[in-house]
Amino acid sequence: MIPWLLLLPLPALAVEKTLGVPPALLSQYSPPKSGSWKCLDGSKEIPWDFVNDDACDCPDGSDEPGTGACPNSTFYCQNVGHIGASIPSSRVNDGLCEPQCCDGSDERPGVCKNACKEVGEAYRKKRDAERKIQKTGSKIRSSYISFAHKEKKRLEALVETSAQEIIVREKEVARLRDIADRTESLSAAALEHKQQSPLYSALLSHSAALKALQREHKKHLEREKELGAILDTLRKGYNPNYQDMAVLEAVRGWEFLAGLPHIGVEEDAQAVSDEEVKTVPEAKKEEEDEDEWTTEDLETGLDELLNTDYVSLLMAHDEHVSTPPPGSLLNIRSYLPDTLIPQYEGMRETMISWLEVFGISASDAEKSDSSKARQAFNDAEAALTRVKKDKQTAEEDLDEIFNVNGFGAEGEWKKLDGTCLELNTGEYTYEVCMFDKARQKPNHGGQTFDLGSFSSWNPSVEAGDSAFYEKQVYNKGTRCWNGPERSVVLVLKCGTENAIHTVAELEKCEYQFTGTSPALCLPLDEKDSREEL
Amino acid sequence: MPPWTLLGVLSLLLVVPDALAVKSHDFKTCSQAGFCRRGRALSARAAEAKSAWNSPYSLDPASIIIASNKAVFTAGVKSALYPEINFGLELRVHDDGVVRVRMDEINGLRKRYDEAASWALISEPQISEDITWTAGKKDIKAKYGNNEVVVAFEPLKISLLRGGKEQVVLNGQGLLHMEHFRTKAVEETKTEEAEPKPEEGAEDAAEQVVMKVPEVNPRAWFEGDTEDDWWEERFSTWTDSKPKGPESLSIDISFPSHGTIYGIPQHATRLALPTTAGDSPTFTDPYRLYNTDVFEYLASSPMSLYGSIPILHAHSADSTVGIFHAVGSETWIDVAHPTDKSTTTHWISESGILDLFLMPGPTPADVFAQYSALTGTPVLPPHWSLGYHQCRWNYISSDDVRTVQKRFDEEDMPVDVFWLDIEYSEDHKYFMWNEKNFPDPVDMTNDVAALGRKMVVIVDPHLKRTSTYPAFQEASDRQVLVKPPSGEGEYEGWCWSGSSSWIDFFNPNSWDWWKAKFKTTALKEGWSWTSSTTDIHIWNDMNEPSVFNGPEISMPRDNIHHGGWEHRDIHNINGMLFSNLTSQAVQERTDPPTRPFVLTRSFFAGSQRFGAMWTGDNLGTWEHMAVGIQMVLANGIAGLSFAGSDVGGFFGNPEPEMLVRWYQVGIFNPFLRAHAHIDTKRREPFLLEQPYKGIVKDLLRLRYTMLPVWYTAFRETSVTGVPVLRPHYVMFPKDPKGFDLDDQYFIGNSGLLVKPITTKGTTKTTVYLAEDEVYYDYFTHHAYRGTAKGKEIDYTAELHQVPLFVRGGSIVPTRERPRRASSLMHRDPFTLRVALAKAGAARGELYLDDGVSYAHEKGQFVWRAFEAATAKKTVRVASTDLGAARPGAAVDGIALASYDAGNKFAESIADVRVEKMVVVGLSGKPASVKVDGGAELVWEFTPGVAAGGKGEGVAGVLTIKDPKVRIVEDWAIIIQL
Repeated sequence: MIPWLLLLPLPALAVEKTLGVPPALLSQYSPPKSGSWKCLDGSKEIPWDFVNDDACDCPDGSDEPGTGACPNSTFYCQNVGHIGASIPSSRVNDGLCEPQCCDGSDERPGVCKNACKEVGEAYRKKRDAERKIQKTGSKIRSSYISFAHKEKKRLEALVETSAQEIIVREKEVARLRDIADRTESLSAAALEHKQQSPLYSALLSHSAALKALQREHKKHLEREKELGAILDTLRKGYNPNYQDMAVLEAVRGWEFLAGLPHIGVEEDAQAVSDEEVKTVPEAKKEEEDEDEWTTEDLETGLDELLNTDYVSLLMAHDEHVSTPPPGSLLNIRSYLPDTLIPQYEGMRETMISWLEVFGISASDAEKSDSSKARQAFNDAEAALTRVKKDKQTAEEDLDEIFNVNGFGAEGEWKKLDGTCLELNTGEYTYEVCMFDKARQKPNHGGQTFDLGSFSSWNPSVEAGDSAFYEKQVYNKGTRCWNGPERSVVLVLKCGTENAIHTVAELEKCEYQFTGTSPALCLPLDEKDSREEL
Repeated sequence: MPPWTLLGVLSLLLVVPDALAVKSHDFKTCSQAGFCRRGRALSARAAEAKSAWNSPYSLDPASIIIASNKAVFTAGVKSALYPEINFGLELRVHDDGVVRVRMDEINGLRKRYDEAASWALISEPQISEDITWTAGKKDIKAKYGNNEVVVAFEPLKISLLRGGKEQVVLNGQGLLHMEHFRTKAVEETKTEEAEPKPEEGAEDAAEQVVMKVPEVNPRAWFEGDTEDDWWEERFSTWTDSKPKGPESLSIDISFPSHGTIYGIPQHATRLALPTTAGDSPTFTDPYRLYNTDVFEYLASSPMSLYGSIPILHAHSADSTVGIFHAVGSETWIDVAHPTDKSTTTHWISESGILDLFLMPGPTPADVFAQYSALTGTPVLPPHWSLGYHQCRWNYISSDDVRTVQKRFDEEDMPVDVFWLDIEYSEDHKYFMWNEKNFPDPVDMTNDVAALGRKMVVIVDPHLKRTSTYPAFQEASDRQVLVKPPSGEGEYEGWCWSGSSSWIDFFNPNSWDWWKAKFKTTALKEGWSWTSSTTDIHIWNDMNEPSVFNGPEISMPRDNIHHGGWEHRDIHNINGMLFSNLTSQAVQERTDPPTRPFVLTRSFFAGSQRFGAMWTGDNLGTWEHMAVGIQMVLANGIAGLSFAGSDVGGFFGNPEPEMLVRWYQVGIFNPFLRAHAHIDTKRREPFLLEQPYKGIVKDLLRLRYTMLPVWYTAFRETSVTGVPVLRPHYVMFPKDPKGFDLDDQYFIGNSGLLVKPITTKGTTKTTVYLAEDEVYYDYFTHHAYRGTAKGKEIDYTAELHQVPLFVRGGSIVPTRERPRRASSLMHRDPFTLRVALAKAGAARGELYLDDGVSYAHEKGQFVWRAFEAATAKKTVRVASTDLGAARPGAAVDGIALASYDAGNKFAESIADVRVEKMVVVGLSGKPASVKVDGGAELVWEFTPGVAAGGKGEGVAGVLTIKDPKVRIVEDWAIIIQL
């Protein structure tokens, strides 16, 4: 037997020449008069018969729009009753009915049924639902935009009034500086003398010591935090079967110190230790002296204290010790009802200037002239700085409101500045305060971790692009032990609520939050909504 | 460079290995293992005594019993040191000429472990009935063919000769020593309670000798003067109680005519094993075989790793021989080359009998056949498992898995399998999904399977000790868990799951029970994994076993297994049993059974029957990338062809260049998986920037085009045992220049030669061509010419290029249509690359079957040969039916009597055709190209270098468009020049 004589020609795949051709290119797939057809990139001429003959001839793959013969080309399915779609050639005739090709044209006839009617219906249903959300969301969004506009007006007004106030205050500062300079030049020598007072120099060294202590304190706080993280890892990762008493001691010691339940202890036992935990801080509190600063005082008050202008204080002190005990006319204020104070203040100033003029009050003034003048100048300058800063902040805020890199071109995100969204995942509650910070808060005791501060919108997309606002990056959070600084990518899409829906730690200490916000719901395009099939 | 710069560089070099180094103190050196120390001291004493050294072991000629009609004899062996102790020796010659040498202590105080072979061998080998033993005065011999086995009586020495030349010699150096069981000296045994007393006075006499004249120990010349770690052994914080006392086995195995040896995986080292003994050895410690979970292992070391296969090839230009030692206990092997042309090895095992197989070769292919006859050939894997495997510790949720799949599809990158590491499970209770992150495991798997893909999910052997975990509770109820040294209760150790126990797979009661756990349907009795589907296959990790709080991160050696054997006796076999049973379990989920895929980290001789292995937790360094190739080659030598190293390295964040080069290594590994540690950045190929992303996409697609080559190579190895990856000495056994080559290799018998680039910033390399033949660049058809003496050619491979050649004389079948997964390619047409040899001929093979079932065992497959021949002015390329020509040789283990070309599978691909044929090296433009008996075909010719010419450069290439010939049918294409 000579087998190849029995060979039957393979049934050629009955494929239309235009199968898989997108509408825009249809005109190029018509039988050429010459009988020879040019590849779309112009690189080669082939017989018209070679088009869609299930063997690749053109380098650009354009001769096989309807088969899978050429890699890296695309196949267009018409999907009558639905929307046409293109799929990669790698999916043509692979035995799977592509969902994108509901007409089943991506496979040989008979393999896939035409499901475009149902698919189209489902698609429209889904799209309508999405549109509904988008419509509702876009209303909320427009309220955000009008908020931004109001905010803009408010800020502009603020800038305006601040500007006027600055002019007034600048004049005042200039005047007071003049007075202070003049009085000081008179009393510079006296000041130098006063500064030699033991009290003053002690104060300065206390201040220096306090500053050093504060610095060390901060350093230790950082260290404690890091040690805490290390010990937490040890606590969760150590092997209780190792019988290593040193490790066990360290873990138990840390648990006691940090008020954590013993790891591995079952739930009921945990409740007990939770109670124990609560009693610990109370006991500590009792020990604290009433006059002593609380931790919060330390955090907030210390900087303020250290910023004291000691020269002014010296003057004030000098003034104080030379002031007669309460009862004098100058301290009459304390006897007056609150309602009368403003009038009194006005009167007092006049009175004093009179007294000064007539030399009656001179004995006080002589000693503290320069300090008073300096104090007045300092106060005025501080007030000026404050107003300037207010103005600057307002101006910056104004810049951000309609900035594509800030709150969006339409200011739609301004409303959400500082809005905090939370998701409880059981073990932790994740929180992101928009444009501020993201946090991981344990639900059963332990340390809250800073997951990062707002850094930018989607960095891999051009600013202002619609995908730009679908991602926020929060970075430079607390560093992971043996890992990177914690960070969060917040992925958002249009929704009627501001919410986080999922949290995933895709890589160690790098989190992905997904959520929704109406700020992403663009108003429905008139054209879009009319485009029905 | 100023000197301080050099200093800086040096100090950097010193610092780096420290930062990324193995915790050496966790693992023993030879000097920290009592029996290895004793064994090495023995060889040191022998070396010092030189010619005065004589083995105390001798065979008693009077005791020889030769079996009638079978090539077996037994005889008694005595040691002059302990004349009262009896040893028995047995030699068998198998049908295929393999000699099995067994020696055991007879009627000793206890029994040595003698079951290692029963786990490693596929069946009891057939003993020759033609060969006969002849006893003489000094020796007993058996002669067959060109081979002869000679057993000399005094001292005992066993030699395998070929053509009168010694090939393998046992105890030629007098290092044979089987430490017999003895009783602990009286003072020390007081605390012992149930120490069995010796029955006869002989043992007492021996003790008395020691006690009477302790200062003159007559055995010290051989055994040393101290009871070095005989009865108890400490390592770090662990104490090994060693209730059986010393029982080690030392044997020297010499290869007087062979200067190169290969094998004894798994070690991170060169394929041709560097020395550990003799003059200035490369390594100072012997090669160690003791399955261990070595954290951040070194890229060059004789330290033991996850698996052990005690097989060696000894090779020379004249012949290849092999030895296989069926021993399951810890074994150390010293290697030395007394001369360039000879090798000595010294094997020191902690326990067990001597059970050595001498494989006479004389070619590498013969040794592969002889070893396969003993332990089996690699299993024909499911076709999809040759695709790309995407793994990470860990894909964290079912949505994560879906997203990764979506990203692959968006980039149109092929992938077949998504993997889940340990974090899928609730508290590391394997099988039990973490329902918060994987609320819908079946739906998730179905979403993956809907695109023709599979999932692999990890199931480790440590079972969390909690009553709410059915796998543990049922194992505990059935009392099939490994026992502590007391032999009572359950051994408790620490692993990922915290406090855990381990199933004792040596206990047959565990087998059916374990297999039932993988059923996807509910059982009448007991738990089964109903929240899984048959599209889930299994990854067995940590099966050395890894025990975090055990000695050397493993199980205490005095733990007790089924039959009362200690863990030390079976340690190296333990991991294989786990993957063996798991693979049976996965196979039996369906009726009829389907081919399982089980990846194992630990392995032993015979593991090739159960699935794939990988080289464990490698580091993302160039050194590890390079040694990965050598390790995979070594595994192939030892039978385990289905192997790979993790692409990208498990630890670390590879830079894009390294990752691209690693994919180039990976796509030419039999097992192709990318994996990453939990602390690393994600590095799935779709995350790369361009141009790297495009390069890797093309590499993955290249792998997929070559799946027909890989599958055909796997069929061959499943029948012959010749490895899928073939180093030079296997291809060209007579070319000494290639003996040390382990960075370039051939794929099956396809003629494809690959040499991946494994150094940073490198584009230039040299490729060794061992023969006077033309080799074509796979991509450019550039013709290079080797010479009969061997020749190195220079080659430049930019980052997107990999040095890949087709040996002249090969026909390579590929499928060039990119698909998302391999299962979607089964109806795609083929491309044939005909690479003409100098003489104008070429040959290739193609094997196809359904890739998942066992229907091929019933003849449902297609096995074709393609042959090109040049006669006068005609080149004829023909396809013939190998299945019909050699039905008996088609399928592993099944000698089919006939082949039906119209079988169901062949019918299912009846219309699959050849869509393109490329003839490379054609001398000139053809006058006509036709299918024999058909019309002129459409073709193009690019002139160039002819195969038979002398020039180098781009070859003449004929491209035939769609000859429309069917792959299942005979045909011929006639090229008239």
